Amino acid sequence: MKNDNFIGTDENDDGIDRAGFLKCMAWAGTGLFCLMSGGVLKTYGMSQLVDKATGGIKKGIDISKSDFSFAQISDSHIGFNKPANPDVVGTLEAAIAKINAMPTTPSFILHTGDLSHLAQADEFDTLEQTLKSAKTGKIFYVPGEHDVLNDNGKQYLQRFGKDTKGNGWYSYDFNGVHFIGLVNVVNTSEGGLGVLGNEQLQWLENDVKGLSASTPIVVFAHIPLWAVYPQWGWGTRDSEQALSYLRRFGSVSVLNGHIHQTLQKVEGNITFHTATSTAFPQPQPGAAASAGPMKVPAEQLRSLLGLTSVTYVEHDHTLAVTDLPLSKSNDEQPAHQ
Amino acid sequence: MLLKKKYAVILGLASSVAIGVAALPSTNNDYKNLKVLPKNISSKDLTRIMIDDFEDGLGVSCTFCHVEGKDSLGLDYANDAKPEKEIARRMMKMTMGINEKYFGLKHPLLGDSVLAINCITCHNGQPRPGDVETK
Repeated sequence: MKNDNFIGTDENDDGIDRAGFLKCMAWAGTGLFCLMSGGVLKTYGMSQLVDKATGGIKKGIDISKSDFSFAQISDSHIGFNKPANPDVVGTLEAAIAKINAMPTTPSFILHTGDLSHLAQADEFDTLEQTLKSAKTGKIFYVPGEHDVLNDNGKQYLQRFGKDTKGNGWYSYDFNGVHFIGLVNVVNTSEGGLGVLGNEQLQWLENDVKGLSASTPIVVFAHIPLWAVYPQWGWGTRDSEQALSYLRRFGSVSVLNGHIHQTLQKVEGNITFHTATSTAFPQPQPGAAASAGPMKVPAEQLRSLLGLTSVTYVEHDHTLAVTDLPLSKSNDEQPAHQ
Repeated sequence: MLLKKKYAVILGLASSVAIGVAALPSTNNDYKNLKVLPKNISSKDLTRIMIDDFEDGLGVSCTFCHVEGKDSLGLDYANDAKPEKEIARRMMKMTMGINEKYFGLKHPLLGDSVLAINCITCHNGQPRPGDVETK
């Protein structure tokens, strides 16, 4: 498959081509700590960062004190029971265990959709019960297309979307950062592309209108807001309209799920990041006949599942994004810099 | 004493029945236009067919067969405007027919794990089986 967005060379033999990353996009997912500041990327392995003795950041590492951190989990697919992962509750619990083991308790968790596999009440029940063990202040949700099956999301809204607008979109401020949860799964278009719709787009335009350009923005939604692989519906038809309202801001981070793998792209001041699933992996774009649950050898499964940790660095108005696979402990990540 | 035991047995049986009924998948749905799938199919069974058989089997999403609702706040699942939906019905009948006629399954139902063939057998993740490249 030819795609100019993909990195073709690996100059440093470290799994990441920095020039390629800055140009467009990089594969992550190997437990990296990525600090983006002024368009310059620094990546660290977790073992380089964390002092095992103290659990804190090692001395001499130049990272500004962060205001807060939060975790992103995605695509839990509670109710899924196929061979790709017959124990999705177990792997969600493993993701929660990683969150609970973090040196700093995340202020909140973002769940970027597909909480359930079939939008059933018992699946939502299990998810809620399981997430109760996560040590965090609050959990914010947006729905995935699996959460709105059958009833166009009525049950999801009743349970997870109280006090939201329309199909479940909303925004909130936290320590000077403006968070925006968008819904692009209720009206998917031909080919499965996500759709935000005019009503939500109008709301978004108004929502950010009064904000100063220096306000850091974090947008989270289920289906990627950039064209990852439209042939498989991995993109959002009207995302460009949404992004046009955000381009004036100095720092915009877009966090998505849906594709069950980590991809990152930098476009001006907007950084896009997709998270792994806690349930099952999917093939890389174009690497299979179609998207869908991918069965891998059991010993490999947890290396392809995980969560994302994000740390906000107030001084630089930057977000440091760390992808943590379930297969490794937080202090045993491969080193990259 | 014997009377108490009888009451206990009756109470136990009644409880078992009550628990069994409660455990059955809910059939309280408002599906308006099911023509091949059972009208009393549970939400879970129907959704599992849509996801496991159609979405994963054909590599498509809901909008392959369903049209957007008038209020633009969801899909109009009952609407038959898209020809793909009618084709899906015929395909379900064909698949069940093959399972019954050639594999001897009595009353096969889509979604059953005992089926000899299902959607993915031929579709292999493609909307049309002919789209699959053969080597």
